[in-house]
Amino acid sequence: MKQIALYGKGGIGKSTTSANLSAALSLSGYNVLQIGCDPKRDSTRMLMQGRLIPTVMDLVRERGAASVTPADVVYTGFNGIRCVEAGGPEPGVGCAGRGIIATFQLLEKFGTLTGDVIVYDVLGDVVCGGFAMPMREGYAQEVYLVTSGELMSLYAANNICKAVQRLSARPRSMCRLAGVICNAKNLPREEELVAEFARRVNSHLLQYIPRDRTVQLAELDRKTVLEYEPSSEQAQRYRDLAARVMENTRFTIPTPLEIDELESLARQFV
Amino acid sequence: MSLNHLPASSCRTEGCTLTGALSVTTQIRDAITVVHGPPGCTHHNFSLLHATSVENDRVELPPLISSGLSETEVIFGGEGALDRILDRAISCNPAAIFVLSTCIVETIGDDVAAVCDAKAGVPVIMIPTAGFLGGSFQTGVNNALVALAGMAEPSLGMNGGVNIIGEKNLEYEVDENFAEVARLLSLLGLSVNTRFVHNLTYGQIDSVGAARLNVLRDPALIPVGEYLKEHFKTPYISGFPLGLSGTITFLESVGAACGIDPRQAIEKERGFEQDTLSDFADIAGREISFSTLFPTHDGERVLRNIAYAFRLDVIPSGKPVPVPVTPPVGIAGVRRMLHRWRRAIHA
Repeated sequence: MKQIALYGKGGIGKSTTSANLSAALSLSGYNVLQIGCDPKRDSTRMLMQGRLIPTVMDLVRERGAASVTPADVVYTGFNGIRCVEAGGPEPGVGCAGRGIIATFQLLEKFGTLTGDVIVYDVLGDVVCGGFAMPMREGYAQEVYLVTSGELMSLYAANNICKAVQRLSARPRSMCRLAGVICNAKNLPREEELVAEFARRVNSHLLQYIPRDRTVQLAELDRKTVLEYEPSSEQAQRYRDLAARVMENTRFTIPTPLEIDELESLARQFV
Repeated sequence: MSLNHLPASSCRTEGCTLTGALSVTTQIRDAITVVHGPPGCTHHNFSLLHATSVENDRVELPPLISSGLSETEVIFGGEGALDRILDRAISCNPAAIFVLSTCIVETIGDDVAAVCDAKAGVPVIMIPTAGFLGGSFQTGVNNALVALAGMAEPSLGMNGGVNIIGEKNLEYEVDENFAEVARLLSLLGLSVNTRFVHNLTYGQIDSVGAARLNVLRDPALIPVGEYLKEHFKTPYISGFPLGLSGTITFLESVGAACGIDPRQAIEKERGFEQDTLSDFADIAGREISFSTLFPTHDGERVLRNIAYAFRLDVIPSGKPVPVPVTPPVGIAGVRRMLHRWRRAIHA
């Protein structure tokens, strides 16, 4: 079983990339489980025909953890992809990080974490220990960074490198940086910049995904690109990404950059 | 961000802020204290407070309840649980409710003050007591005393009495130490106004502003003394009388602060001191050693002075004698300690 986690700045397209990746993997015949690890709960929406499925934390809040069953938390979406949303507290109260930990414990207990590939789609930044949970022992061993060529997006990706570096130093940790996915804003020299960033943090650019109107149209139709327009160029890019993820063997301990290094790097590609 | 220094020792004055505040608020007998946190924070303190009161011959249970947070409230927020327990507390018709926070609710960011402010009909007083923010047991005591003093009406006139501020309610000799200070005050013709806070009703805290002088239990309470001075214009003495010479100094300081000539009182007390020296003349010349480490530097100084006065040699090979957690208060305190020393010497 392959377990991968996608991390990156809020709004950069992690959920879009995750859903399309899961769709492409599933169409290649893999049994896929996608877990949204963000209180915003919209990770699996495109796999569920636009439906916001009940989250694990909603169910725990409404019924108490003891009366939630495995069947309550797993929803089957596009092409048999199993979808779970961790959810979390209402915005502005409680502790979302602890919610992620509790969700993982429950999924573990239910034996939900099975299949050929598990895709963890995690909140914008690793703000606390709870959001590093998917990287911990027994969960995702391969962390993918989703970033554009914008400085703030690279900055967030660099920060996640720090978390991966810290966790990978632990004795039994198998967590590694598996690569960088460039979800482009179509800036000039963006692919070069992100490739160079990936190299500098001791990783590699796994896939360049240009900005494409098909993605917006598919989302308006509440579908992944793979479902909405399977013959499009964009769909092929997600299929390429899926193939590369499955073939990838380059897992490294990242070397995060200092902020001024990052800035001067970005300046080189203006 | 608070800095928590490593505790210099594991004595209880280095302990949890919550416990410190509880040692004060649970002395208001007609109020309820709500600990907003997991049940264990309440349970362990309940046991400590109850065991201590039983030791001091008081069997009533501390008026203490918990909002009983579990992981669910940690994830989704604990304000609802606090709101519910406050309603339950209000339904018991207490004179006041104290709400004490814990580490976890400060971590998840519950707005405890806002929940307290929304309640009407009974004073709901919030005291921040999360231990991980760097405060000690003493911080909790001080925060609770200041919060309580803030609820007192400043309008009452002076009554000429003296307040005893911040007694160590968890020490076994709390009542004996109080009695000794009251005895010394009476030598100067002074009486005690309020034990702030020891076994009071909520209504009695109003009288804290009526005293002519505040006597603090120890100098760690100076911030409380300053607060009371600012609000009620009451001067303060920064500590209880410790040891023999401390007792005389205390009479002098109180006399000076109240404009009373202390000479007659001092003369009388010197007589008691002389009686005590002759009462324990049998142990003079014996060799002793102190059986435990001292929590404070001052404590060791006071005890060495007492040993010197009674012509005891403190040497490492001497008979081990028991050392109190805090130095003996007044000559009565010295006498109680000497009885224990004599027993150890003759053992």
